[in-house]
This record gives sequence, C-alpha cells and structure tokens, in this order.
Amino acid sequence: MSLVKKQSDDLWYMPAILSGMRFTFKTMLKNLFTRPDPKDKLAHRTYNYPEEKYEYSPRFKGNHILTVKKDGSLRCTACMLCATYCPASCIKIIASESDDKAVEKFPISYEINILRCVFCGFCEEACPVDAIRMGPEWQTPGLAAENFDYDIKKLAYRAQLEGGIPSRVDDVERHEAGI
Amino acid sequence: MLKCKINDKEIEVPEGTKLIEAFKLADQDIAHYCYHSALSVAGCCRLCMVDIEGNPRPQIACNTMVSEGMSATNQSDSIKETVKWGLDFHLINHPLDCPVCDQAGECELQNQYMKFGSGYDSEMAEKKVKKNKVVDLGKEVVLDSERCVLCSRCVRFTSEITRTNELGIFNRGDRSEVGTFKGKPLNNNYSVNTVDICPVGALTSKDFRFNQRVWYLKNKKSICTGCSTGCNVKAYFNEDGYFRFKPVVNQEINGYWMCDEGRKVYKSTNKENRLMGYELQYGDACSKEEAFKVAQDLISSAVTTALVVTGQQSNEEYESIISYFKETLNSEQIYHWHTTPGKEDEFDGLLMRGDKNPNTKGLQKILSEKGLGKDVSELSSVDTLVVVGPENMTHVKDLKAQLEKFIQSQNVIWLGSALVEELKEMAHVKLQMPLRTYLEKTGTFTNHAGQDQKVTVVKTVNKQALALTDWVQLMQNQEVQQDQGVKFPKVKTNFFMDDRGTV
Repeated sequence: MSLVKKQSDDLWYMPAILSGMRFTFKTMLKNLFTRPDPKDKLAHRTYNYPEEKYEYSPRFKGNHILTVKKDGSLRCTACMLCATYCPASCIKIIASESDDKAVEKFPISYEINILRCVFCGFCEEACPVDAIRMGPEWQTPGLAAENFDYDIKKLAYRAQLEGGIPSRVDDVERHEAGI
Repeated sequence: MLKCKINDKEIEVPEGTKLIEAFKLADQDIAHYCYHSALSVAGCCRLCMVDIEGNPRPQIACNTMVSEGMSATNQSDSIKETVKWGLDFHLINHPLDCPVCDQAGECELQNQYMKFGSGYDSEMAEKKVKKNKVVDLGKEVVLDSERCVLCSRCVRFTSEITRTNELGIFNRGDRSEVGTFKGKPLNNNYSVNTVDICPVGALTSKDFRFNQRVWYLKNKKSICTGCSTGCNVKAYFNEDGYFRFKPVVNQEINGYWMCDEGRKVYKSTNKENRLMGYELQYGDACSKEEAFKVAQDLISSAVTTALVVTGQQSNEEYESIISYFKETLNSEQIYHWHTTPGKEDEFDGLLMRGDKNPNTKGLQKILSEKGLGKDVSELSSVDTLVVVGPENMTHVKDLKAQLEKFIQSQNVIWLGSALVEELKEMAHVKLQMPLRTYLEKTGTFTNHAGQDQKVTVVKTVNKQALALTDWVQLMQNQEVQQDQGVKFPKVKTNFFMDDRGTV
C-alpha cells in the first residue's frame, strides 16, 4: 500500500483559485449591472431561456441533417455504412433501385430513432459521400413516441434547413471529371 | 502422386494437378480472378503469379501443371510486387462504386485491395474509361460493365457448362465489354451462377439486388428442396428471414452449381408465404391448445380417418406420422399426393429434375416397407382427413382439383407451412395447423438417386409451427422440445460490429 503525503504546508494552489474566483465574480457583476450586447452573441451574459436561445457553432454534433444534391434530391446512396457503424443501432434504411442509371441506388426510407441515438458522430464519419452531417440544432422535444423517429422529410427538408443543405461532393461533378 | 513444395510446405498431389490447385491443397492463399475449378483455364487476370525454382521469370500458377519435385512460392518480394501492380491494372478503370455495389463485403477486389492496397491512390481519382452501367442481361441478371475486370468466367460458364453461349466479350483493349448478342438475352435456367462466380460486382442478381448488404446476413449449410436433386446450398438469413441461396460444392450431388428455380425456394420459407398461426374454420385464429383439442376431438370421434402426404417432408416425420396412423389410429388409408405426376424421369441434363418433391424416394420407401401407399386419386370420402400440404406451392398446378376432392370428406385438418388462401373459404376445412419448413427442422431427405442428406435447423421464422414428429407427440399428449436454430438477441444489438474484423 502506498501512502500519499499530505501537503498541508504547501499553499501554492491559492493563486490559481483566486484568479478563477476573480473571473467568476467579474462575470457575475457584469451580467448583473450591464445590458447585453446584441452584436456580440458570445459575450458573457445570462440568457432568458426559452425566449432567448444560445446558438451553437456549426461544428456542434446535434441533430442529423441529410444533405441534398443540386437538383434537391437526397445525396444518400443507401450504402448502409452509417447503419452498420452506428453503435446504438438507431438508423434504419430501406434501399431501392432508381430509374436514373447514374444514381442506381437510393433510400426510399431513412429513419433515425433520435432517442436511441448517442450523438457520437460515427455516421458522419462513416459516410463516403457526405450525405449525413450533424448540425447545430440540439432541442428534440416531442409528446408522442413517433415524434422521435426522424424520417427523410424531417432529416433533409425540415423548415430550419430552408430547402436542404447541399453536399460538398456531387456525383455529377465526379462523372464530368471522368472518374 | 507427385511430391512438390509449396511455400516450403511439402505435399503430395495427384498427377495432372494444376499448380494453383496445389496451393489450395496446401492451404496457401493465392490471388486469382479468372481461374475457377469447374471451368477451363483462361490465364487472363495474371494475378496467380508464382516463383518456380529454376525458372528465371514469374509464371501463372493456373496454367502450370505440377511436376515431380517442383518447388513454387508466392511469398517472395518480387511476386508480392508483381501481384500488387497487377492488381493496380485491374483497379485502373474500376469505378469507386462500393457504396452502391451489391458485391461489397464479398468482393475479391476489395479483399485483394486490403491485402496489397498501400501504394495506390486511394481515392481512385484517375480518369477512367466509361462503359455501360445497369445493363439488363436477362430475367435474372444485371450487368455493370465498368466494374467488370474481364476475367471471362461468366463467358466460359455459358459456353462450357450450360452450352448456351449467350455471353461474349466485345471490342478490344480497355474498351472490352461483356455483353449478350442482339435479341439473345441471358435467359437460361442457370444464369445466376454467373453472378456467384463473378469475382467483382459486375454481374448482380435482380432478385437479391439492393435487398440487403451482405454483411448483415449470416449463412448456414442446408439443401435445396426445389426438386429431387437436392443441391447443397448455403442459406443466407438475418432476423427478418431468408434472403438468398448460394450453391455449395458437392461433387456427388450438384458439383458447383444450382438452378435459378431452386434459388427461389427461400421465398416459400419467409413470413409472407407462410401460415403463421392456428386457424379454425373460415380462418378464425385460435391458440395452440385449443387447436389440438379440436384436432383430438375430430380424430377420436371419426369412424374412418385418412392421411394424405406429399413428398416434401423428412423421413423421420413420415416414419412417425405413418406409424401414428397405422398403429394408433388403425387406419390403413394413407395416400401419396404426387404434386408433379408423371414427371419423375424428366431431367434437363444438368441438375434440374421434373419431380419437384425433394423426398419422393424417402416417402415411397417408407410406404412400401409398411405395405401401404395408394395414390391420392384413389381417395374416397372419410370422416376425418388429415392433409400434410406441400411446403413449396409454386409448382403445385393441380391444387384446386385436389382441394375439391379433399373437401368431400366431412372434416379436413390441414397441416402445412405454406399459406393457402382457398382453404379459408372452405367449410369442411375445420382446422389449419402451421408446420415448419425444412429450414426449421432436423431431418433426412432422400434424393432421386437414393442419397440421404441430413438437414439441421437454420433459423426459425415461425415459432408457433411444428414439425410432424412434434405434432404426433402433441396429439398423444406428450411433451416436445423444439430447437429454434440461430437465435437473435431480443434487444437488438449490433452484433455485426463485433465480428467485423480488423483493418
């Protein structure tokens, strides 16, 4: 058994604690006596939730987004790599054959059970065509269980996305380059 | 026998063995696309290169015969380099289609890439020769010319095995393409074998296309019950049911192949074509206990009972149900319903036979041993008739005529695994009880040549269903224990994550 020597004589931790407390009290007093700056969203202030909401950066791993091609159709090719990689098994895809020979395979159903999802971001990482991303939205309220099964309509075309987020690499560009 | 040394491992092989076969006999990995044990040697993929002692240059193993004292290796650095850059030639025009390609997961190009992959451009961003995509070759097969590595296995299959010569390689150089002749689609009954032997995803089966990714499927060996040949197959399944059959090599029965018709047998074992629960008159659902009570009443109150069986059950089941009727119920009225009468001797020259019942031989043997067995045409009306219906309804052409004959009896108990809609409208059908399909039970099937083949439980689709042996035991109020086969966990866990292997 090893004994840990008690370092009661040593007071070197005090400066660090004091500087931390200085920051805390400074922020508290500033929030109490000054008005918030509407231009600087990241300024220290207390939010009046839920009327005011903090907006996370685009890199935040929140609710999923299915990206779209330039013509507005889904970028997803239904390769099922996200569903395979998903540690929570919350992604369910049904693939189908497309009439367009350049597309060949596409999902007729893409469902994410958001309650099972652990927001690990593996789906984003596994996707070979940048079809699924995790966005800055993080609130997932709902009253009934079916509200938490997100389908294509919700994942790709919900109102907040304003008609869909375009994907980075498009098949059309690849085909034109002869690849 | 010839002595030879393969990768410093000494083995003996029979005379006339190809060097690539010697590598397989010595359990040594050797890369190859064009070589197939059942087809002639083409030697066009140039991947099975080996160093033979005393030979200054690397040589292909598939077109070299083993000679006495030969020493060959494919582990030297020069051979590894040769194979690596040979593979680069195969990949140079290969599209990066793996996300949409059905072969992904069982693709030889992927396997070889994972072995030799370092050193290539992983994005495969070089300019490629564009070819036809999604070409409809026939009623079962789709071709993607861009993915093809021109190994010519499929072309040799149609010229050597089926001798129908539908496929050919057209054009020259890197514009070469596999294709069919004008107005002559690939419509022979063995066409899906070309999909099996295709080492890449160029040929895909329309039936399986985009249904499942292959890594979601497990497989287990069984047989095909599409006809009396009894080809050995691997059944591919997951918790939702069965998805496809692939042939397993058995030189005594089916060789390397199986027919397209047999590949569709899995459909009759899936939920949508099955009788899932116990049903009373007019299709009213009831519990298992109720159903057996009704069945026992119907049989004990009857003065005359009769049994109709088809050749689609296992030998063990015949043994138990026939002795139950003969010894317990003292009924000699046991009839053989031959669903494809008069076609026993039909044979297409390769594998498929006219008799679509897998166990006609087994049933006839047991019936003749017991001195029973009349044809179903001799059936007259009885008080209670027990019919063991066919498992696979696709080839039963005389179903309506037979049903009309059956319902002349006062009470009919129908035991069957297949869903028969007509039975719900028939007043005399007092009870329908679900049976297990051959993929859900253990038993023996005897094929046309009298060869016995044992099948084991693969995966149970219908948990309520019974084997006939269980049915007989339950009718006599005995307890039964049932094997459920491969069990999937109740809470869905991602068990494919665990055995994905390492990169």
